[in-house]
Amino acid sequence: MRERDRREVIRDEPLMHAPIRRELAGGPLTVPELAERLGRPPEEVLLWVMGMRRYRQVVEVPDSDDEGYFRYQLVASDEEVLA
Amino acid sequence: MKFDALVVGGGIAGMESSLKLADMGYSVALVERQASVGGRMILLSKVFPTLDCASCISGPKMSSTVNHPNITTFTTSEVEGIRRQSDGTFAATVRQRAKYVDWSACTGCQDCEVACTVAVPDQFNYDLAARRAAYIAFPQAVPKKAVLERAGTSPCTDACPAGIKAHGYVALIRDGRYEEAFQLILEATPLVATLGRACYAPCEESCTRGDLEGTLPIRRLKRFVADWHYATYDGPGVEPAAPTGQRVAVVGSGPAGLTAAWQLARRGHAVTIFEAAHEPGGFLRYALPEYRLPRAAVDQDIANVTALGVEIVVDHPVDDVAGLRAAGYDAVVVATGTPLAQSLHIPGEQHAGVTSGLAFLRAVREGESWDLSGRTVVVVGGGNVAMDAARTARRLGAAVTVVYRRSRGEMPANHVEAEDAEQEGVSFAFLLAPAEVVADAAGHASAVRCQEMRLGPPDASGRRRPEAIPGAERVVACDLVISAIGLRPDGDAFAALSHDGSGALVADPTTLATALPGVFVAGDAVTGPSDITRAVGQGRRAAHMLDRWLRGEPLDGFHALDDRLAVVDHAAVLARQRTHSRRDPAVSGIDFSVTPHDFAELEPALTEVEALDGVSRCLDCGVCSECGACSRVCPADAIHLEQHDEMLDLEVDTVVVATGYELFDAYQKPEYGYGTFPNVITATEMDRLLAPTRPFNTVLRPSDGKVPERVAYVSCVGSRDRTVDNPLCSKICCMYSIKQHQLIMGALPLADVTTHYMDMRAAGKRYEEFFSQGKDMGATYIKGRVAKIEEKDNGDLRVFYEDIENGGRVVEAEYDLVVLSVGVRPNPDALHLFDEEDLAASEFRFVAEPAGDHSPGRTSIPGVYVAGASSGAKDIVDSIMHAGAAVAQAAATLEVAHPRRRVPLEVH
Repeated sequence: MRERDRREVIRDEPLMHAPIRRELAGGPLTVPELAERLGRPPEEVLLWVMGMRRYRQVVEVPDSDDEGYFRYQLVASDEEVLA
Repeated sequence: MKFDALVVGGGIAGMESSLKLADMGYSVALVERQASVGGRMILLSKVFPTLDCASCISGPKMSSTVNHPNITTFTTSEVEGIRRQSDGTFAATVRQRAKYVDWSACTGCQDCEVACTVAVPDQFNYDLAARRAAYIAFPQAVPKKAVLERAGTSPCTDACPAGIKAHGYVALIRDGRYEEAFQLILEATPLVATLGRACYAPCEESCTRGDLEGTLPIRRLKRFVADWHYATYDGPGVEPAAPTGQRVAVVGSGPAGLTAAWQLARRGHAVTIFEAAHEPGGFLRYALPEYRLPRAAVDQDIANVTALGVEIVVDHPVDDVAGLRAAGYDAVVVATGTPLAQSLHIPGEQHAGVTSGLAFLRAVREGESWDLSGRTVVVVGGGNVAMDAARTARRLGAAVTVVYRRSRGEMPANHVEAEDAEQEGVSFAFLLAPAEVVADAAGHASAVRCQEMRLGPPDASGRRRPEAIPGAERVVACDLVISAIGLRPDGDAFAALSHDGSGALVADPTTLATALPGVFVAGDAVTGPSDITRAVGQGRRAAHMLDRWLRGEPLDGFHALDDRLAVVDHAAVLARQRTHSRRDPAVSGIDFSVTPHDFAELEPALTEVEALDGVSRCLDCGVCSECGACSRVCPADAIHLEQHDEMLDLEVDTVVVATGYELFDAYQKPEYGYGTFPNVITATEMDRLLAPTRPFNTVLRPSDGKVPERVAYVSCVGSRDRTVDNPLCSKICCMYSIKQHQLIMGALPLADVTTHYMDMRAAGKRYEEFFSQGKDMGATYIKGRVAKIEEKDNGDLRVFYEDIENGGRVVEAEYDLVVLSVGVRPNPDALHLFDEEDLAASEFRFVAEPAGDHSPGRTSIPGVYVAGASSGAKDIVDSIMHAGAAVAQAAATLEVAHPRRRVPLEVH
């Protein structure tokens, strides 16, 4: 059951960048895994992760797991690559 | 502007119409609502039945359209009205909405998108994912240029008299960019810590969130970034422009003077502030009590100004502005505020024990010892100075009564100040006007004799006028009378400057220029008593105008306050969402005491968690927050927030309406759970998931990002359905569904695809074969309506359907994802394009073709033609053919009307 209006969820995306980056700093995670760690609904986490993916902050690990979930990892920034 | 033809709508039919007419040599104006041509087709994955890439077919046509020498494309534009003239031609009014981006400079690099702080649903992905307020429509957009989505000025920003972009700094904080938020405020004023504490926050009064559960703590967020900056950095982090070699004197160091000096120093001028008092800050230092605005905060803000090289000369009153010019200053800003207290004009005012609110507050601020323990103080007046004086007196131990001649509702003090005073034990005596200060034998004030009043009709200020009640008097005993009935500028201080009867200096209200060349005024000295933010706004204005005067430029262009978009309406903002979840407002955190003892700052700072919780409640009313992040990163300097919509007048000989169709709103079939169950989506959304430019990395179900293995389609959702007033077959749903089945099975080889359908319509070239191909690939087709859909705890869906071919029993099946094949509805806008008569509508409210059997594309208005799905549901092939038919007739009209107007086309 959808808990919040999608526009409201999407509006939260910038606010969620830092918590998501913190969780992914330890390695790739699926949407349900991220959702559990953040204490937020997976549907909302998917929207935030896909927003970050669109702007090249995260990327999927190539293959999905046995349950059918992809894992997502941080994309190194230009500064991080140069360092 | 004159064109042969106007084509309304830049989808496949509009592009085809434009290209055909242009290829014939006619000049075409193509008006498209979006920032790119392409319509719905460019958003598709592939087209049926060939499974050709939609982009590969549409892309070249889009490029040809926009680059055709005979086509002028107006994107982000809408037809506001078309009038048919007596000679059979047409006059069209087109609104070209501002893009806020200079497209001649924009390279489509997307840096603005990446930097943007506002996330909104992406309409080009049917809201499945986010885009930014600064955005390029989609990857294949033509032209591939950025636009900024701006609904108007956000109410918080609009309300700020200082022109501070409140929405902007809220959005930056939300994005974790605290320093950028601080810098955004610095663009307006150096007084970030001050305003974060002492501003009356008109932004919060205007906040749309106030219509829900309460406003954002916008003022305290400003303090949050100020505290964060001052704890993190030394200095403001601002580099002034290269020195101009010009010197400016600023007289007065209150909020207007400091802001003016700051702005002028940033522009490279050498600025000297002359301050009459021993320390700079004006009322900020000498009138606002420490518990509201600590001295340390004022010092932090003033240090911003001096960090830019501004010299502050204290103990230096100025009365000769012409002398400053003669002393080598190229220009002067006078910002001396309202240093004079209004007199009570009652007998006994001269007694000992009578003082003004201003003098009292200043004395306390300067450290004078006042022990009012056990004393009684009467404060006369209902303004903010009165409230500050009353609360200060409470801290010094006094019992305080505020005497005010009107009632609570007419008090000019900010309501928060009055409420806080009350919480600190200040008493109020309303409808009492002081008539005499009574002295004791020693000549010291001992009471105030007051006249009792009642409220009459409103006066010029709009407040009800107090009228004396004959014979009704009251005596209020006291030890100290503090008169705080008003302040006024000292107009007599400057012989060379004119002032009005109130002492306010006279200047042009827009430019703030006085009659004396090079001398500008700002703040309360010209407006009379106001507040800090208004004074800041005045200081900004004066600095802007003075800078232009020094450069020999016209005194205009003050975009910060004079050129804002219309404010966004609260109701319009709230209507963007179907629901709003409750987000508790920030608590004030102030621990009031009815017997306050000290002057320690009352209001606690927001913690980072509280600040982020606060900004999370922002509704992004204006959509673009004006945070300026895009401007700062744009390598082409292409962002221009000062752009405005333009109205274009077009004269044309013929009109082609190609406004396309709308999709059925699946919310109207609540039994299917669209909008409630995340894993129920529409087929147009699925087409985006299947497209090469899809919003997810593959087809994922929206509830949790799982790759679906069991996908069901429900056909005829919102078509052939009288319950939603649409008995028509939409013609395209069967085939686009079959197309998707094949694409899903290609993308997800393990997926099972099942379609629940009523009837399969495959009336088109190779459509029947296409259907067979789907079945051969393994898709399952079950004949029978779906009655309802339910959701399981894990997001899976239970579909209850009638299985007609197996006895008609009701069967339940489970799926990971359900796709609703939604139907097509007419676009109602198409009928109302013309001012004096609507286009005739068909039985089902599409644009009618009265002679459709032999003249397809001809409408009810001579010279007006309809192309594509505006006249009824059509697939892409039929739309293109229909556009050809419409254009042929339009060309015939043009040939008859103006046989020599054709523009020779040499190469295309």
